[in-house]
Amino acid sequence: MANFWKLVQNENMKIYRRIRAWIMLGFVVFVPVLISAIYIIASGDNDANNWEMMKLETTILYQLITIFTVVKAADSVAGEFSTGTIKLLLIRPWSRSMILLSKFVALLLFALLQMALCFVVTWGLNAALFGISSDSSAVIPAFSPVAGDSVWVYIGLLYLYLFIAQVMILSVAFMLSAAFRSGGLAIGLSIFVLLSGSFITGMLSLTEKPWVKYVLFANVDLTSYLSGSTPLPEQNMTLGFSLAVLAGYFIVFNLVSWLVFVRRDVAA
Amino acid sequence: MSLVPAARLQDVTKRIGNRTIIDRVSLEVYPGEVFGFLGPNGSGKTTTIRMMVGLMSLTSGDIAIGGHSVKTHYAEAAAQVGAIVENPEMYKYLTGYENLVHYARMNPSVTRERIDEVIKLVGLEGRIHDKVKKYSLGMRQRLGVAQAVMHRPKLLILDEPTNGLDPAGIRELRDYLRQLAREEGTSVFVSSHLLSEMELMCDRVAILQKGQIIDIRSIRGAETQTSLEQIALFEVDHPQNALGVLEGRGDARIEDGLLAISATRDQIAETNRRLVEAGIRVYGIRAKTKSLEDQFLEVTGGETIG
Repeated sequence: MANFWKLVQNENMKIYRRIRAWIMLGFVVFVPVLISAIYIIASGDNDANNWEMMKLETTILYQLITIFTVVKAADSVAGEFSTGTIKLLLIRPWSRSMILLSKFVALLLFALLQMALCFVVTWGLNAALFGISSDSSAVIPAFSPVAGDSVWVYIGLLYLYLFIAQVMILSVAFMLSAAFRSGGLAIGLSIFVLLSGSFITGMLSLTEKPWVKYVLFANVDLTSYLSGSTPLPEQNMTLGFSLAVLAGYFIVFNLVSWLVFVRRDVAA
Repeated sequence: MSLVPAARLQDVTKRIGNRTIIDRVSLEVYPGEVFGFLGPNGSGKTTTIRMMVGLMSLTSGDIAIGGHSVKTHYAEAAAQVGAIVENPEMYKYLTGYENLVHYARMNPSVTRERIDEVIKLVGLEGRIHDKVKKYSLGMRQRLGVAQAVMHRPKLLILDEPTNGLDPAGIRELRDYLRQLAREEGTSVFVSSHLLSEMELMCDRVAILQKGQIIDIRSIRGAETQTSLEQIALFEVDHPQNALGVLEGRGDARIEDGLLAISATRDQIAETNRRLVEAGIRVYGIRAKTKSLEDQFLEVTGGETIG
């Protein structure tokens, strides 16, 4: 058995050897710069709280990063089918499971890299422009479970929760990419999940039926726990509950990807 | 040379829905042989090849590569196979070299030196660091051969390898395949509908029609059989007179102004002597061998779609 890392290396090569990956990373750097610049121009001064700006830019950039990751995830499996390269990839002495896993790992790394870049840029930029504020209470909501803690704890959890949501949407895109072998469908549906999540959660909150708390949309945004509320106020939900539900969905999505990818004939 | 066949297909059957695509196909490819897989479009050649390389599952039967079943020991079987399935589709946004590195990483036996060696072998040294999207079809075909042979497979599977190649490229590929088979003992399994091509390239051919093997025959053996009757064409000055000379032979006839008889090699020489002795001028004699194409059309009944 050769080294599994070499498969991930291959997938990395296929991600980063394309100019589009670097355009995406360029946007991750450019968008915070743009937002901070607009703030300075619009307000005419530079006395904003750097943490506030970092949080704002992160929540905006998170959506962009998720879309970029979804695009890469959709391309990862479906793209190999549409170009026909899947044939030469699958005739190697590796099981399909390992090839699929290497693709998923490479995508996770791509998402992680973007989040890390987002963190570095939004922190460094705003610290440089606005100085480092010692007033953390302005950033951490009063009812947050981490109120009173260091601002780093809050920011750290924010990134963690956003990353978990991103992994869920990545799994949806990856599943659609592997199951339908259509990149367009995978991108469209996963971006729908990303963008309509809060809207659908709002609709679900209108009913008090007990099952709604098991819906993916109601659990994917963990940041509401960070501000001291729950996604559906009428339901008895906790962070642990949501994590368990997400874990369930995660397993189902990836099980479907795996079963379809491993079993289906490569005919086209 | 080992006694284990490079590939053994046993009652391989593929059903999709209630259509039987491949029906109990059995064949063996011996070490060091170039085996042709011949059939009209839609007869199931590509499906069979996809099953051999693990891209498609078998409904029943089994395929062993070097003794390893593709169903139960896929990694061991795949390690011995190099293949191009249909067109060699590479990552166009990578360079030729990066493509080869990509496949080399998946096969622990391939070293950097070996990559350079196969690049030289297929003659791509000058362009290997260009992106594949800038390659011509012939260059992609060469890159396809490079990725297929770089891990020194025991069995090389090529699906319609001459598609898109110019005559010089076809000739080069043919010579290379024969050299691989002769010098490295690599077995080559090659599918094609270009019958004349197969005749020049293969030791044996299997003819597939509608998912069934209807014939497996040796190509090189047949040429040497001297007792076999063949049709001989005599180019003579007066075909009608010549026909008169050969009064005794019932099968003598005139075809396109040439005198034609069915005869063995000895009989052809004998006929020639009789014609010359009778004062007929013989300008040329040639054997009208049945080409594989004729044989193929004969067995498949001239069908083009299986």
